[in-house]
Amino acid sequence: MRRGALAFVLPLVLALAGCGRLPGARAEAEPPARPEDVLDFHTLYSTNCQACHGANGHGGPAMELGNPEYQALVDDATLRKWISGGMPGTEMPAFAQSAGGMLTDAQVNAIIAGMRKEWAKSNVFAGAAPPPYAQDQAGDVKRGQQTYQARCASCHEKPSRQQVTSLAYLSLVSDQALRTIIVTGRPDIGQPDWRLEPTPIPGRPPAVYAYLVGPPLSAQDVTDIVTYLGSLRNPAAVSAAPTPIPPRR
Amino acid sequence: MPGMKQSGRRIYDWFEQRLQVEGPIKDAVLHKVPRNTASWWYVFGSAAFTLLMLQIVTGILLALVYVPSAAEAWNSLNILNHQVPLGWFLRAVHAWGSNFMVAVVFIHMAQVFLFGAYKFPRELTWTVGVFLLLMTLGMAFTGQVLRFDQDAYWGLGIGVFILSRVPWMGGGLVHLLLGGPTIAGATLSRFFALHVFVIPGTLLFLALVHVWMVIKLGINEWPMPGRLVRKSTYIAEYNQLTHEDGIPFVPGAFWKDLIFSAAVLAAVGVCAAVFGPAGPGGQPDPSITQTVPKPDFPFLWIYAVLSYLPPSMETPFILIAPILMIAGLLAVPFVASEGEKSWHRRPVAVLALASVAVGWGVFTHLAMNTPWSPHMGAWSGDTLPLEYLREATPLVRQGAVIFQAKQCRNCHSIGGHGGERGPALDAVATRMTPDQMRYKVVTGGGNMPAYGKNLSPPEIEALVSFLETLHPKGEPPAFDASQQAAQSNPAPGGSNTP
Repeated sequence: MRRGALAFVLPLVLALAGCGRLPGARAEAEPPARPEDVLDFHTLYSTNCQACHGANGHGGPAMELGNPEYQALVDDATLRKWISGGMPGTEMPAFAQSAGGMLTDAQVNAIIAGMRKEWAKSNVFAGAAPPPYAQDQAGDVKRGQQTYQARCASCHEKPSRQQVTSLAYLSLVSDQALRTIIVTGRPDIGQPDWRLEPTPIPGRPPAVYAYLVGPPLSAQDVTDIVTYLGSLRNPAAVSAAPTPIPPRR
Repeated sequence: MPGMKQSGRRIYDWFEQRLQVEGPIKDAVLHKVPRNTASWWYVFGSAAFTLLMLQIVTGILLALVYVPSAAEAWNSLNILNHQVPLGWFLRAVHAWGSNFMVAVVFIHMAQVFLFGAYKFPRELTWTVGVFLLLMTLGMAFTGQVLRFDQDAYWGLGIGVFILSRVPWMGGGLVHLLLGGPTIAGATLSRFFALHVFVIPGTLLFLALVHVWMVIKLGINEWPMPGRLVRKSTYIAEYNQLTHEDGIPFVPGAFWKDLIFSAAVLAAVGVCAAVFGPAGPGGQPDPSITQTVPKPDFPFLWIYAVLSYLPPSMETPFILIAPILMIAGLLAVPFVASEGEKSWHRRPVAVLALASVAVGWGVFTHLAMNTPWSPHMGAWSGDTLPLEYLREATPLVRQGAVIFQAKQCRNCHSIGGHGGERGPALDAVATRMTPDQMRYKVVTGGGNMPAYGKNLSPPEIEALVSFLETLHPKGEPPAFDASQQAAQSNPAPGGSNTP
């Protein structure tokens, strides 16, 4: 009888002694933090940014933040400005509490530091000087149209990949966003950077951009193209009316 | 050894001479009960009492660490969870003990109802039982409040809103309960007093009265069809039954109680070890809006019922329904104090119990599974599946940005992630033509708000061009047959009149 009791009690005692490993014991050492106390980059990015900018900074519908060229081109102050106050004319909302968002300044800084740590690489331009992030000279619409036709239209006028001149699209992107994409490219979707060198596209044969050989775009070229595209922008001309029914017999 | 035995006997006799409890205890233990009540159906009451003891013991241990102040309660629970050795297990046993106790009390009540055990002369036993049920639920609610996290905070808020709708006295009652007009410093002190002194004291007293009556009146005999209860003859019939076919309560019927109670305790222990303690969840701070609070399981059905009620019905329902329910329960033994006990001949009782059980189950299930709230973080946290954007044009990508940034995702899931208030949109293009999508986005309909004034025409166009791409590979998008017919047969005169 005593031996039986021991056989019953002993495993219980052993189980409780090792209770840290029982599934009910809380795995996390710390209680849940208040939302404004979270400073972990991955938590902040995955709850605030990744829906538009993609998991790990790639493959989202909005700007590819995980592109090392983007990280190299944009400075901390600019990133802080867009994250904190949002980007006027685009869907990028303001995230800082001072602008009505939910993030503290420390959290915005943590996101910037995290992006740099995760995605910035040294010497991504391989010695080449990219056109500056911000437009620093006047653009010319006519020249921009010519450059666009010569250097961009071969892809963007194709039926499957067109629409960069679509009025609806241009109404929703800012000049700065257009400029940034032209300069840094978007490797995740095959958009080359300003050097217009063939870029391998995930899931596509490498020969697609074989004809893109040519001199890199100059800072003036980029400004001109953006000016040309900007000149096409006309939100008032976009209609969301239903398709008219053609006349019938 | 014999000396020790003798001195032990002497000490016992010394106490017994003064206390004189041996006789009553022997009477209680050895009193005869009908043989067929030594059944596994008769074990729930004792299990409920065992759980009450467990709750008292674990509650006392928790009170050694718990700080009943709004500023400290949440921290002290986290200290128990993370720093005190086995503190998490203690909290888990108390929480699971509470769940089991509510469940066992309900099962006990259903069994008593089904077996007609509330009939003469046990009406008062039932009445006290109804108050024991209310006390048990009161313990569950005040316990939920003491677990001072977001669920507790908002659960208390709802409870207080319900209370505040009592005519004339609402404000005063709220003030009394909260120790002020809002949930603040005094609130937890009040609930601590309720949970630790007032309700358990009453509960224990009523439980002892309940057990006293069970012993004095005898355990309800197994109901037999045709054996009717009559006030004039029942007591004599019962005494005859126990005399002719009775067994001593201990050990004849008691061993099943012991085994079942032990099994329930073991089940509480296993649940505690495997599922762990309840919370605490996020901090109870009304400025933290990233929360979807839900009450504990005994109150989930109320949560569902209140969610479904039209606003005009809320106040009448909240004020009248509880009174009717409690009055109904209290009236049961007085409406049907005589007659059949067997469920074979009480179809109304069986149907009533089944309806209540099914209703309770359905509402609890709905409360747990209905997507009541949008997923407020989906727009910024849930990514789109990569393959949905692989062939996307710039406008389609921009539409996807609009879809996220305008928070459509909070109600509509894509790729299995996102809200569930609206339909999933993975195949929306097979169901709606672009024009139908435009119409829906602009005018809303059903649960969906109209976004016509919140979206510019370019935004609508981008959004619809993204939605148009959402159809499975190999399954063509929906098309407008009238458009196609008109395009294939254009009118020669350019007029669409017949």
